[in-house]
Amino acid sequence: MTDAVSLTNERNQMFRDLFSGKTPKRVPVSNPATQDFAIQYAGLDLVESQWDLTKLEPVYDKFCQDFKTDTYPGGSIRIPSHYQLLGSTPIIMSSSGFMQHPEVVGLLAEEYDQFIASPYDCIIETILPRLYTEFNGQPGKVAMALAKAMRAHSDDMAYLGTIRAKMNAKYGFATMGAALTEAPFDFMADFLRSFKGISGDVRRYPDKVSAACEAVLPLMVKKGTLPNPSMLGYTFIPLHMAPYLRDKDFAALYWPTFKKLIETLAEMGQTVQLFVENDWMRYLDYLYELPENTIMRFEYGDPKLVKEKLGNKHIISGFYPITLLQTGTKQQCVDKAKELLDILAPGGRYWWQADKSIINLEANGPVVENLKAVLEYVYENGVY
Amino acid sequence: MLGGEETMDSKYYLTWEEYLTEHPELEGKSTQAIASKIQKYEDAMFTFIMDLLL
Amino acid sequence: MIDLQVLTQAVGDLDEKTILTMINDFVATNPSGEDAQKVVFACQQGMAIVGDLFEKNEYYVGDLIFAGELLSKTIELLKPVLSGVATQKVGSIVIGTVQGDLHDIGKNIFGSMAEAAGFDVYDLGIDVSPSAFVEKVKEVEPQIVGMSGVLTLAIDSMKKIVEAINEAGLRDSVKIIIGGNPVNEDSCKQIGADSFTTNAAEGLKTCQGWVN
Repeated sequence: MTDAVSLTNERNQMFRDLFSGKTPKRVPVSNPATQDFAIQYAGLDLVESQWDLTKLEPVYDKFCQDFKTDTYPGGSIRIPSHYQLLGSTPIIMSSSGFMQHPEVVGLLAEEYDQFIASPYDCIIETILPRLYTEFNGQPGKVAMALAKAMRAHSDDMAYLGTIRAKMNAKYGFATMGAALTEAPFDFMADFLRSFKGISGDVRRYPDKVSAACEAVLPLMVKKGTLPNPSMLGYTFIPLHMAPYLRDKDFAALYWPTFKKLIETLAEMGQTVQLFVENDWMRYLDYLYELPENTIMRFEYGDPKLVKEKLGNKHIISGFYPITLLQTGTKQQCVDKAKELLDILAPGGRYWWQADKSIINLEANGPVVENLKAVLEYVYENGVY
Repeated sequence: MLGGEETMDSKYYLTWEEYLTEHPELEGKSTQAIASKIQKYEDAMFTFIMDLLL
Repeated sequence: MIDLQVLTQAVGDLDEKTILTMINDFVATNPSGEDAQKVVFACQQGMAIVGDLFEKNEYYVGDLIFAGELLSKTIELLKPVLSGVATQKVGSIVIGTVQGDLHDIGKNIFGSMAEAAGFDVYDLGIDVSPSAFVEKVKEVEPQIVGMSGVLTLAIDSMKKIVEAINEAGLRDSVKIIIGGNPVNEDSCKQIGADSFTTNAAEGLKTCQGWVN
């Protein structure tokens, strides 16, 4: 299908331009809805479709056909099979069928020194057994559980990969690779110390927090490294804890290793996309310091101020409120998209994405129509 | 190679050099093919393990 | 004799060392229940300072969480000398993260602030069904029911819970407050709640207004 091939080439060029600070021929647009949404959109059972992945090809086909987007609207790292096989406690399926992350503690405060001495040893010996039940018990059983989980995960990813390849070949999406990593402080918080735990650690043992972040930094760099640094793609980094810290704690404990992480990845020639969750408006000057052409997708904040302070150096994205798709009229939704284009597109360095992902579909709500209208509008009218 | 290996310093992650030290019988035998494959699975395990905590 | 003003300020400063030293020394003097009550009150005043500093953006959510932990620790240490004293409760609240949702950090912050302010808090946990809410309301007869959620699907669950409370004939005996990312004026009306908040300190003020 030459049409799809040339579309892919065109879109890849748009993103190559965007990521290197050049202005693409139009504003790239990405569908913010997820696999969970797509399954509901297709009228299928959420639980069953996350276990029996053969159900997903028609789901994705309909999804890709109906919603305008330059990038493949897929990808889920929370496929349940390997989590179930490992006895996961940090990632579980709620009664509603959505995979979520309840508050868990993987590392106790008294284990900081052990972690600092060798993070990977501590992860294998202490943290994973605490969080995943199947890492405990007779060595033979543990080995088998891990083998099954790795196989299941590998099979799931490969299968989803084949669907992706088919969709790319049919619809001509941009073909980008991605790696996932976190700021060291966020890594220490999310699954290890927990939100509550790290909040106390910041007050009680700031030196240990700092040392732990330094110790785990090389692992975060390695995790964020793309298979081929020069490939079209990016390292995706969701940012969590900073908005919940005082400025001085951010400066001393969050920022140093976060900055080093981004700088190291940039030095390797990689593009970095930060998902700037919650509100970072008080930290804009810090964000400015990051290597040129860092992609910053914002959840909340003032788009005008962000464009003014960061728009000449970095690639701005986000801000479009998905809640408006639930409550607004089609016109209001489109007007909002236009408003953001007018603020963020001039001069380039802008990628249309929403403020966060859409996972839930309200059966009789306006989201589907509103989302279609907005994506169509930006696709047709998104000029710099 | 994913990068950063030299600073891993863990009994659960071996660089090729470390692995070769433990398996000297492999010295000189189709090193490139063997090294890249052995290292590939060491890194695949690393990515899998870390993704359990991300 | 413990300096209550210093204690209040120490709580406001989130100075764990000073607070624990003062409380431990106090408990060691074998104080009366009445004096222990005064200490609890001083701590509550300190928590009010924390709430103020949060509203002024000098403290952030991480500090609220730490404050909650400090207060729990303090109450634990005071329990032996508080027993036998009828602690003045300003009211009781049943809280929970609604069905389908597993997020609880905001709910926990609110819960500890409410406890600090003198409420009896019954926390149902996460992924809580309408029937669980109804059963607890029947059991403890609270003044207030608080529902929390982060995902937009929480709105649907909150609606169902209010309906269930209504069907059980209990709606008029409670005030209902909703909290979390997706809540706003519109969703509050849709759900049939009495109030909404995205800020634990503000939510607490609302609840205090209801029981006064």
